[in-house]
Amino acid sequence: MKHLIKNILAGCLFLIISSCGEDFLDIQPQDSISNSQFLQTLDDFEAAIVGGYSQMSLADWYGRYFLLIPDIMGEDIKANASANRGAAWALFLGAPTTTQNENREFWQEIYQAINLTNSIINSDFTPIASQQAALNQVVGEAYAIRALAHFDLVRLFAQTYSFTADASHIGVPIVTEFDVDSRPTRNTVAEVYAQVIADFQQAITLMTIGGSNTTFTREAAQALLARVYLYMGDYNNAETLATDVINSGNYTLVDSANYADQFLVGDSPEAILEIAMTATDNRGSDHIGGMYKETGYGDYLPAQDLFNLLDSLTDVRGTLFLRDSNLDGGIYAGVDGFGRRVNKWPSAGSAIATDNVSVIRLSEVHLIRAEARMRKGTPDEAGALADLNLIRERSAPSVTFGALAGTALLDEIMLERRRELFAEGHRIFDIARTGSDLIRTDCPAPGSCTRTYPEDRFILAIPQVELDSNPNMVQNASYGS
Amino acid sequence: MKKQLLSFLILLITATVLYGQGRTVSGTITDEEGAPLPGVTVTIKGTTTGTVTDIDGNYNISVNDGDILVFNFVGFDSQEMAVGSRSVLDVAMSGATELSEVIIVGYGSQRQEDLTGAIKVVSAEKLAEVPTTSFQDALQGNAPGIQVVARDGAPGAGINIRVRGIGSINASNEPLYVIDGLPITSSAADVDATDFDNGGRSANPLSALNPNDIENIVILKDAASTAIYGSRGANGVILITTKTGKKGPAKINFQSSFGFSDFAFNNLLEPLNEAQYRQLYLEGKVAAGDFATQAEAQVLYDSQFPIETRGDTDWLDEMTQTGKTQQYDLSVSGGSDNLTYYISGSYLNQEGTVVNNKFDRYSSRINLSGRVSDKLTISNNLNLSFSNQRGITDGTRWQAPFYLAYLMSPAVPVFDELGRYYGDHASFFMGGNNPVGHLNEDKREREQTRIIDNLSASYEIMDGLTFKSAWSFDLLQVTDYLFANGRYGDGRNVGGSAQEATTGVTNWQGTQTLTYSTTLSNQHNLDVLLGYEAQEVKTRQVDTGYEGFSHPELKLLSVGANPQAETFRSRTAYAFNSYFSRVNYDFEGKYFGSVSLRRDGSSRFGPDSRWGTFWSVGGGWTISNENFMQGVSFIDNLKLRVSYGVTGNANIPNNTTTNEDGNFRWAELWGFTPDYDGEPGAIPLTVGNSSLTWETQENLNVGLDFYGFNNRVNGTVEYFKRISSDLLLEDPLSSTTGFPAVFDNVGDMENSGVEIGISADVISNNDFLLTVGWNQTFITNEITKLDEPIVDGSFRREEGRDFQEFYVYGWAGVDPATGDGLFYTDETKSETTNDKNEAIRFYDGKSATPDHFGSFTLSASYKAFSLTTQFNYQFGNYVRDAPGWVIHGDGRFTPRSTSTWAFENRWTTPGQESIFPRHFWGNRQEWNERHSTRYLFEGDYIRLRTVRLAYDLPTSFISKAKLRSVQISTTFNNFWTWVKDDNLHFDPEQTINGIYNTVTPISKTATFAINIGF
Repeated sequence: MKHLIKNILAGCLFLIISSCGEDFLDIQPQDSISNSQFLQTLDDFEAAIVGGYSQMSLADWYGRYFLLIPDIMGEDIKANASANRGAAWALFLGAPTTTQNENREFWQEIYQAINLTNSIINSDFTPIASQQAALNQVVGEAYAIRALAHFDLVRLFAQTYSFTADASHIGVPIVTEFDVDSRPTRNTVAEVYAQVIADFQQAITLMTIGGSNTTFTREAAQALLARVYLYMGDYNNAETLATDVINSGNYTLVDSANYADQFLVGDSPEAILEIAMTATDNRGSDHIGGMYKETGYGDYLPAQDLFNLLDSLTDVRGTLFLRDSNLDGGIYAGVDGFGRRVNKWPSAGSAIATDNVSVIRLSEVHLIRAEARMRKGTPDEAGALADLNLIRERSAPSVTFGALAGTALLDEIMLERRRELFAEGHRIFDIARTGSDLIRTDCPAPGSCTRTYPEDRFILAIPQVELDSNPNMVQNASYGS
Repeated sequence: MKKQLLSFLILLITATVLYGQGRTVSGTITDEEGAPLPGVTVTIKGTTTGTVTDIDGNYNISVNDGDILVFNFVGFDSQEMAVGSRSVLDVAMSGATELSEVIIVGYGSQRQEDLTGAIKVVSAEKLAEVPTTSFQDALQGNAPGIQVVARDGAPGAGINIRVRGIGSINASNEPLYVIDGLPITSSAADVDATDFDNGGRSANPLSALNPNDIENIVILKDAASTAIYGSRGANGVILITTKTGKKGPAKINFQSSFGFSDFAFNNLLEPLNEAQYRQLYLEGKVAAGDFATQAEAQVLYDSQFPIETRGDTDWLDEMTQTGKTQQYDLSVSGGSDNLTYYISGSYLNQEGTVVNNKFDRYSSRINLSGRVSDKLTISNNLNLSFSNQRGITDGTRWQAPFYLAYLMSPAVPVFDELGRYYGDHASFFMGGNNPVGHLNEDKREREQTRIIDNLSASYEIMDGLTFKSAWSFDLLQVTDYLFANGRYGDGRNVGGSAQEATTGVTNWQGTQTLTYSTTLSNQHNLDVLLGYEAQEVKTRQVDTGYEGFSHPELKLLSVGANPQAETFRSRTAYAFNSYFSRVNYDFEGKYFGSVSLRRDGSSRFGPDSRWGTFWSVGGGWTISNENFMQGVSFIDNLKLRVSYGVTGNANIPNNTTTNEDGNFRWAELWGFTPDYDGEPGAIPLTVGNSSLTWETQENLNVGLDFYGFNNRVNGTVEYFKRISSDLLLEDPLSSTTGFPAVFDNVGDMENSGVEIGISADVISNNDFLLTVGWNQTFITNEITKLDEPIVDGSFRREEGRDFQEFYVYGWAGVDPATGDGLFYTDETKSETTNDKNEAIRFYDGKSATPDHFGSFTLSASYKAFSLTTQFNYQFGNYVRDAPGWVIHGDGRFTPRSTSTWAFENRWTTPGQESIFPRHFWGNRQEWNERHSTRYLFEGDYIRLRTVRLAYDLPTSFISKAKLRSVQISTTFNNFWTWVKDDNLHFDPEQTINGIYNTVTPISKTATFAINIGF
């Protein structure tokens, strides 16, 4: 018996000795870093801001849908019969189906970017003096991305600024700090715009190092802030900032011969901020171009309304289309009896989806200024016309444009925006902010042909997942509870 | 009975206690074939005096003339012989009784009749009845409480097993697979670098094992048997024991089989022919208002499908074929005094029912066991296997054969005028897919190399006390290769694309155990186990792609011109560290008790909540051994078992949408996968939850075993209740936080049910044996705690409801007046609407969980012939046709084709009663809402799973050819199926979660085999 006990004890001892100890279980991930160990060096911040741009380049933001949805809700782009992606919005069907979740994708991807920028902005890291300017640039870019993120959200999910007199209608939650348990309410549109302006101004102050046109620069922030002021109806500030950008001398309009190339090749002298789509980080078949082209999903077609604005013989912008013989006949006939497809984002073959996509370019800044000059308290018609002429004469060098004034000039500026910026994600925002009605002459489906401002469905539904997880969230009108 | 037990105890303690007796008798004990049997207990009847045969089967014992010797050995009938005046008494033992079978349990073995837990053994013979790639398939219908589903009928495809229902929502529900002691990598998700496996449906790491190498499979179902596996025992445990050699001359076994296969289910959808498609096309264009007349629409039709190349293609027929399987197995086993061996080699070639879809496997095994000394035994089991699989895409992706078969226009020809696969429809019809071309010209391949080795040494420190050290590894390398040509289909826009991904998994485990067995006062039998175990699993993946392939014959990555988007790479690991113990006790083979305990630490949880304790208690009472039962002669054995315990589920899944690694869900992390404009970037990846821990499961089991009528009838009835708590869930966050959800332990669920298994030898005489068997499982599931309902596809997980209850729109059929589709507005079903926006989703009492399922077997043998049949069935569940909303989309997807069922049953004239609404192109009425009862069908079925006829050639005949045995057999699987729902057009067996997703249909197979023993 003694012998037995001794043996058992010996065995137990062996078992314990052969244990591996606690550190055996302490396995750390090899392709990620824990929060507490990150944002400790300037390099970390630079990696984090790259993550922010990567987020912007996703197919659910600037990679595709943010350039698509606002246009398909307008009159210049129409849904193909087979259109699937985004069709709920294009046809004003109401709540999206379970397969169409563009609203959810926008909401989630953009708030992810906001969380990322908050991590950068709220970090208490102090660099050595020689790195301060570089860190400021990164933090400034983070402010700029956060500003644009809130601006894009408030445009997609809330009625336009002038919907109520003091913009006191519901906007989107402003998030400037991470709180895992937060279940925020919606801030007012006025509050969101105030935050956007504050963030852009902070960005303009912090960004002192010039950059390429694929990342934020002081001028990119100024140009976008000009757009924000335009949406708010603060035309003096819009004009001032547009002038700052134009006068920076960093950008020039490309000429007519190179017009199309600015989209295919990217990095044009006109580009103020564009999202890079290199061979390694492009969105493949989910790229914006694939939504239009027959070789892609081909869900959306140019509408007759757009062709009516563009003379393909004289206007270089009238050539940004491809004929599609499978769209022959029937009600699908284009201007010359043939079906057409948008070819503004033309990369193809082995370079599919490698065209950079615009966030803002110089021609829009001119159009912002032209519009602001017309709409401000004391209109500056000469200045407005000069800006307009720069844009329309560049695209149609062979045409001599007559002088315009008053309402006719303003109308022409608004039409020029459609010609210049189609397929770049502006149309429904322009319709809404100018209080216009949507009137489609080439209408893809009954029920979507005329929509009168104010229109509940000019904005998207708050995604169901947010409503499910956040009892403080309110759905937009006409999208159910 | 009692004697048997007592004798066995003597074997356990290997103590020979000799009392003074008159004289010595000796002899040799052999089996039926004359091989000596070591370890047979020899006792004098009515005493505790006895001995055990030595390695050569010899014994000697002191006796008196009037004594009767009792010979007992595991797996053989007990024998009694009067000594008389003999001094030599040789015995050939024969027959095997199920009763005294010793079965493998976790970290040890137990006699079946000593068990307190719920354990089912499936023998090699049962495995042979279903000749398939993986042993899992053969478990179907052979164990109560076990659902086995081959969701995909393709060669080498994955198989899902649920032991006693679904115990988890997000963590894996697959059991733990343990081969010769090592928990092996068993989930397709662990090696899925590409979409080759279609979300686990189409590939199976366990197909590396040759089923013919398996001695038996033991399924552990309750806490008493699984708690020893601690945090990994909650879904049940499947123990696979491979064959070993037995002492004796070499036995050579050669087995060859070949088989043919075709679709088992007769009511599959049929595609349209060109005339039907043209009619639908023209009608639909006019109905949509695109054209005023069919003649105008015809112009567009002629332009899209030019008359000179127009086909009349039956895509289903073009893509499918009769499958063929051939397998060759050679094994040799035997042993000397100190060394036993089992060596095998095997080749399997399976051609599927889809063109170019196949599975090849080469495998070998060497199992050796050497007795170094009386006390030290060293053994090693080594298995090498290599397999090559050619698969298909499933689901609603454009390359999926059983999707495209119906959607592809039959007007598209297979070949163009140049003899190439046709691709001219690339610009307007489903990306120019040519599924036949895709199957023949594109690549979708997986190579799997696997080495599993189990090395162990056991040392008998003293009588009954053994130390065992086991070291095992499982090395797995999987390489996927996908290629899409540049002319048509998925690669058309990029000049062709290729993707290659390699996953390597290194899994090692060291297990140290001490076991002690003793009998005290000849009454108290005690088995004690103490153990320590460490396991680490490392996974690394590289996945890269190229685009731009100029020559149609060159498809390798190295030929591609442009490196593709992202090269994915990852390295991850997890480890377990465990201490465990078990005590089994019984008193006179009448009262049994067992206690097990395991303390598990896992790297998968945060440092604060890393360790957990799991345990079980079990008791058994052999009622038939009580004196008051002695008079009941028809009962041979009656035993009551009760167990209760707590196990865990640490199978935290990866979150593939957010790219989160299941091994690190507890940590707050920045991830480094993003890049932008050539620069690497970082983003917040996980919100982290430092208190994340395993799901726990309380498990109650009450079982009654019965053997009677001279063991001709036996049965088991069990009641179980599994209470899962701390279920791992994505607890939704406001997306404004930047994260959709935090992974947390919330939610409880309960499964309870009754299992019945009965087998009876209805006729049993020397020539003829007729056995019937029935097993049956009733199971109910209920979510008992969930703060917020979770909508998950067609389901909504809600407290108080079945986990798999469908939550869908109520389809109310077609309005005969207008041809519009109708939905019920709500669950009262009192009003209908043709506008889905006016309807809501509701519960309609339809669940994917069956009310009950089971099998019925009938086997007969007459002389050298034997016949085995098995029917499997399942009742009370609903199955959902996931691609139905596209294939039967009422013209929603212009101008994709559909099935003849839809074509013939569509509404065309006012007043017509029809199944399908009116058809028009660009239909956006949403009558094809995917989450609706329109695409739900009753899943009830009965299937003739197996008919197997075997014949053993007479010994007199084969002995002339110096053969030991020859058996020829033919097996028919899945040759008859009954389904309740006439409108069901896919195989009802192919859903584990109620969702059918255009997988390869299950096959019926006819297999012919010959088995020769030398």
